Amino acid sequence: MALLEIEDLHVSFKTIDGVVHAAEGVSLSLDARKTLGIVGESGSGKSVTAQTILGLTRFPNATIAGRIVFDGRDLITMSTEDLRDIRGARIAMIFQDPLSSLHPFFKVGHQIVEAIRTHEDVPRDVARKRTIEALRSVGIPSPDERFDSFPHEMSGGMRQRAMIAMALALRPDILIADEPTTALDVTVQAQVLELIQALRDDFGTAVILITHDLGVVAQMADDVAVMYAGRVLEQAPCETLFNEPEHPYTWGLLQSIPRLDAPRTDRLSPIAGSPPSLIHVPRGCTFHPRCPYAPPPAFEIEPGLDPSQPGHLVRCHLTVEERKRLWQSLQQEHPVLR
Amino acid sequence: MRRRTAVVAGIAAGALAFVAAGCGGGGSSSSSGSSSGGVQGASHTLVQSGGKKGGTITILSNGDVDHLDPGAAYYQFTYAITYVTQRPLLAYKPNSIQPVPDLAASMPTVSANGKTVTVHIRKGIKFSPPVNREVTSADVKYAIERGFDAAVGNGYAGAYFGVIQGAPKNIGNSVPSISGIQTPNKYTIVFKLSQPSGIFVSALQEPLTAPVPAEYARKFDKGKSSSYGDHQVATGPYMVQNNASGKITGYTPGRQIVLVRNPNWNPKTSWRPAYADKIVFREGFDPTVATKQILNGQADANGDFPPPAAQLKSITSNSSQKGLLEFTPTPGSRFVALNVQKPPFNNKYVRMAVAYILDRNSMRLTRGGAIDGDIATHFISPDFGSHGFIQAGGFGFDPFKTANNDSGDVAKAQAMLKKAGFKSGKYSGPQVTQVADNSPPGSNTAAVVANSLAKIGMKVKTISVQHSAMYTRFCGVPKNAPNICPNVGWIADFHEPQADLDANFNGKNILPANNVNWSQLNDPKINALMEKAKVELNSEKRWSEWGQIDKLITESAAAIPWIWEKSPTLYSPKVTHASELWNGGEPDVSFMSVK
Amino acid sequence: MGAYIVRRVLWAILLLLVVSFLTFVIFNVFPSADPAALRAGRNATPALVEQIRRNLGLDKPFYTQYWNYLKGLVTHFNLGYSYYNSESVKSEIFSRLPATISVTVGGFIVWMLIGIPVGIVSAIRPRSILDRVMMGGSLVAISAPVYFLGLVSLFLFAKGTGQLQWFGAAGSYVPITQNPGTWFDSLILPWLTLAAAFAAFYARMTRGNLIETMHEDYIRTARAKGLRESKVISKHGLRAALTPIVTMAGMDIGLLLGGAILTEIVFNIPGIGRYAYDAIVNSDLPAIQGTVLFGAFFIVFANLAVDILYAFLDPRVTYG
Repeated sequence: MALLEIEDLHVSFKTIDGVVHAAEGVSLSLDARKTLGIVGESGSGKSVTAQTILGLTRFPNATIAGRIVFDGRDLITMSTEDLRDIRGARIAMIFQDPLSSLHPFFKVGHQIVEAIRTHEDVPRDVARKRTIEALRSVGIPSPDERFDSFPHEMSGGMRQRAMIAMALALRPDILIADEPTTALDVTVQAQVLELIQALRDDFGTAVILITHDLGVVAQMADDVAVMYAGRVLEQAPCETLFNEPEHPYTWGLLQSIPRLDAPRTDRLSPIAGSPPSLIHVPRGCTFHPRCPYAPPPAFEIEPGLDPSQPGHLVRCHLTVEERKRLWQSLQQEHPVLR
Repeated sequence: MRRRTAVVAGIAAGALAFVAAGCGGGGSSSSSGSSSGGVQGASHTLVQSGGKKGGTITILSNGDVDHLDPGAAYYQFTYAITYVTQRPLLAYKPNSIQPVPDLAASMPTVSANGKTVTVHIRKGIKFSPPVNREVTSADVKYAIERGFDAAVGNGYAGAYFGVIQGAPKNIGNSVPSISGIQTPNKYTIVFKLSQPSGIFVSALQEPLTAPVPAEYARKFDKGKSSSYGDHQVATGPYMVQNNASGKITGYTPGRQIVLVRNPNWNPKTSWRPAYADKIVFREGFDPTVATKQILNGQADANGDFPPPAAQLKSITSNSSQKGLLEFTPTPGSRFVALNVQKPPFNNKYVRMAVAYILDRNSMRLTRGGAIDGDIATHFISPDFGSHGFIQAGGFGFDPFKTANNDSGDVAKAQAMLKKAGFKSGKYSGPQVTQVADNSPPGSNTAAVVANSLAKIGMKVKTISVQHSAMYTRFCGVPKNAPNICPNVGWIADFHEPQADLDANFNGKNILPANNVNWSQLNDPKINALMEKAKVELNSEKRWSEWGQIDKLITESAAAIPWIWEKSPTLYSPKVTHASELWNGGEPDVSFMSVK
Repeated sequence: MGAYIVRRVLWAILLLLVVSFLTFVIFNVFPSADPAALRAGRNATPALVEQIRRNLGLDKPFYTQYWNYLKGLVTHFNLGYSYYNSESVKSEIFSRLPATISVTVGGFIVWMLIGIPVGIVSAIRPRSILDRVMMGGSLVAISAPVYFLGLVSLFLFAKGTGQLQWFGAAGSYVPITQNPGTWFDSLILPWLTLAAAFAAFYARMTRGNLIETMHEDYIRTARAKGLRESKVISKHGLRAALTPIVTMAGMDIGLLLGGAILTEIVFNIPGIGRYAYDAIVNSDLPAIQGTVLFGAFFIVFANLAVDILYAFLDPRVTYG
């Protein structure tokens, strides 16, 4: 039985410009102690999907449907009141930009203490001790002093460590990391990822890692879902996805993995063209306008997310054979993909 | 008058000259025996005897008095306090335009050559505490002498008492001794004049003749600015509240003035009933709010401001309220002064064209219309009655009459322009300049003037400044004077036409600064007639001569009068007895009684 | 911080000097009335006018007048004497200070107590009926002039003149030391009138700021921690949304003083605003100069206080 099960999730927002369809039938599952990577460009719906787990998308203009089952309960229909007990305590979350995600006017230590005392009725000094422990455990030097620092007084990596300390202070079952390294320097990125990995191993926390960077996923994830225009296009165990990718979009992503021997760009647009607007999603296969291989049905009919082999789901009109042939020829063209 | 706050200046007598004096223009203009187009109250309050003794009267005002010191006071509103706390030699009774003895025991006697004026003062009049002693003629002498001290800063001493022998021409910061004021005994004062003066006796009703005890006041009169006002003693029925040392405690500038009974006042020596025990002048009120408070009985009458036009209209149209209003005619007029010293108004016919074209009816509307008074057709106002108004032709004299209710007549104006040499009947000379108020109603009046003149092709450039700056920097300084001063006016200090016309139109009175002959009229014939009338001791002859002078000035069109104003006084429903001062409608609190 | 404050104070003094000089220049260059002629009266003889001119020191060139004024100010903290009634300007201003402080400080408190809660309530339920009513009402309050609002409030709610005889009437002000109850009663309407426009403006600003703040990442973090929404708003949201408002308020002190002039006039409160108004009407330069300096002093030091306060409110700000 999975720890967290997302079933046919639909999230849309009414805006002045039209209805934004941020998630269309997303189904994912996360097992205990495992890491699920969700990959996609910005605007693919991955962050909305992740935030919906904690009910952070419950805005007045939002429509949310489907099921998110955690611990036998549906988080979508759960009251905000009940959900608050899960937020931070059972499922914690860290965000892309630790500077904007920490309150600029409160001391870092205080912000962590607040998280602890929201869920546990402990005296201030106990919470303080635990906070300092948490800060130490994420590798912040002299945590006693850092407790009283303001966010702007810390480096970017230090801030993200502090965010992680806050998220893990209550030993949650799941850590949702939404682009945790995007805003950080390359060297710091690796340290933060190692930290998350180490904490997962030490505390047994399951992780949902949201990123646009397949390289990060390769390093961290057990399972990977590739999202595009609010839909999962391909889903497979990490190994399979990297060795036998079947979706043309995934191929494109793989071509863009940052290499030490190539100049790094922050946000890669691996494939010609840009992701569609979530208000005006293309008919048929949502990826067809950018797909060099799209067969005629892709222009009209949206393909289903079908298994090509057990545990490997692909949303594509091409036949399994066609995909294999195309992937092999790509590998020959680009030796790096081997 | 000196001081009106802008809010009030916007509505009231802001443009009129000084403190008025003269006529007991009580509740109606009946004393001048004239008909009038203005709205009038139902003078129910004009009962002068039988009021209830005791109680407190509250008067509301917008601004403050000018100077509490009776020697410096020169403002209608201040006079409401001065005349009930001080006893000048003479004073006006309600509804009278003839001064009568107050401190004096009888009317002054004037010698045959007009150069000696003798006044006997009442015995047994005592100063209020802490002076407490009997008033003597020396106290009157000192009071007038200190009027010539710049530290006191009296505004009219030179104009009316400069005729006394030995009166100083140069003013310093000390009290001069004037040889022409003699005190042969404790109760007699003799004025030796350098020439006869037809108005000297009337001028004895000015507050400057109210006694001041030299031995007490001298220390306060020292220096550049006298502080006697803050230590003054009284002779009238009331005194400004003070402490044992004489320091005034009842005056908070801009806030309130408290009058209490003068324990040394003997009612047998005075014709003032002085009903109330206490009078509180509360200052700083917005006129709209104050009017409402008076109507609601929270206060008893208005002080320095007229009720705003909108409220006046609603009061006069409400049958239960209109009886609360009294209208006091003012001894003066508002006029448009044309600078006769430079083109184009050095040409009499151009001036007469202006007189014909000015829409005096619309000008009056800028001040509230008929309720504000009659359209003026010459200078001596109806309030003067037999003291010059009748002699000038009364309401019948209107040399620039037009058929359309004084709204201006293009044809008549064009005829005058043709005489002036503008063949087409249209003015084609250079643009003219006027300096006007920068706030209503003066600014609106100036706009009407400009619009009227445009009808005969005369373009007017208007410079807008604060009312006081208009007088003291432009219209009152001949070298800066514009062609037109549309917002000037004058109120006489008493009901002698000389006080109304001499300063404004005598060529001898053109001064380089502080000039009030705004037209700069310097007509040898008029000047000579004025000098002759000034020394005429026979009052009937004198008033008749001034009446003729008024006609000549009006016909010269050096200035065009357009309104004879009336001041509205509003009483609360609690007031049973009341009367207004002659000087512009301030309530005479010594005649007021409340339920 | 200490050096910063010293530097700011020195600048403030320089600024006050410039302000006083400009007032002098404006008074002398632009057409205002001749104080000597005004004091003497229009029937006065030229000799009297000239002696009064000498007594007031107005016969000297204007730079000498200014120098003498400065000398008195610096050596004796002497603000001069009124041209109009010879009263000491300093003692007038100080005796009127309590009234003006009562009006402005009370008005400021009411302004904040109304503006901020209304803004918060509106921000929490944007586009709700409550929000629309409050924001619509605030538009009216912003647009209505203080003078008009004062009259309306007097005719609706003041004892004596009002339809509902609830609060103190115009002119009922007494010092707090004399009778605190009457003092308070007399100031309710002035406070509300003075605060109305500001409160309305600040309600709109609070609403806008808070709505914007509630979209910040750190608000999402606070929610993700499991904080109650009420706490998310009251602690994390307001802490950030209100900080710029404090600064704004400091800068609006000048406007508040301007509003206080009109309020004091309508409600007949014997404060410095009323004095300033009379001074202008009477072309009373020493009194104008004194009130302008007072106003400038108030504004400059309110701004300094706010800047210092801001350093405490926003830890990211430092002054060196």
